Amino acid sequence: MNIFFLIIGMGMCALVLLCLYRVTFGPNVLNRAAGLSAVGTKTLIILLLMGVIYDRVEMFVDISMVYALLNFLGTLVLAKYIKQSGEVECQL
Amino acid sequence: MIRESQDVIVKTLARLLVPFIVIYALYVVMHGHHSPGGGFQGGVILAASFVLLAISQGLDKIRQRLSEKTAGILSSLGVLIYAGIGLLCLLLGGKYLDYGKLSKLLPVEPAQARSLGILGVEIGVALAVMAVMCLIVFTIFSFDEDSGGDE
Repeated sequence: MNIFFLIIGMGMCALVLLCLYRVTFGPNVLNRAAGLSAVGTKTLIILLLMGVIYDRVEMFVDISMVYALLNFLGTLVLAKYIKQSGEVECQL
Repeated sequence: MIRESQDVIVKTLARLLVPFIVIYALYVVMHGHHSPGGGFQGGVILAASFVLLAISQGLDKIRQRLSEKTAGILSSLGVLIYAGIGLLCLLLGGKYLDYGKLSKLLPVEPAQARSLGILGVEIGVALAVMAVMCLIVFTIFSFDEDSGGDE
């Protein structure tokens, strides 16, 4: 069963690399922000899979909850900054 | 300067999420000695709830709740709790932060006094970290007020 979770984790790492490409070469700052948020969400899943593999889910659940919270907050602050700096046209 | 958010999604989400964030931060502080976390991490999560409030409600409203002066007093209070517990152990005949000696004051066994002592120290650390993080974030958020630049 561990092999199954390991393979899923490796697939997630490949997806993180794809998102990282968007963060690095994104044509727009909004693309970068969305890519960063997606990387954070995938990191959360990878953390939980690590918890299953190492048989310590109850510890990794705590960490991943903090990660989810701070990822959401970071994206929100970044969006607020982008909106106020006026670099991108926001239609709100 | 961070103004009040006009977006109904952000406002509703912040209102729903902030109580859970605070309870989770208290859980992280309380369970610091047998799960990942502790005073610093709990303090940072508490400060995150204030940042979320500042984004959704505007910085001015949050400053009325937690002004810079209050944050300074809270951070000093946290350091006082930490150093005070350490000095109390020193006065009771142990080493600095030797919580076992607190059992002379509290009606519990030395082993339980150690657990309570480290909980007190962690609460002090969480208070100090929360206040200092809030101060840093508020200062960064209100940067262009002081320099007089356009928003």
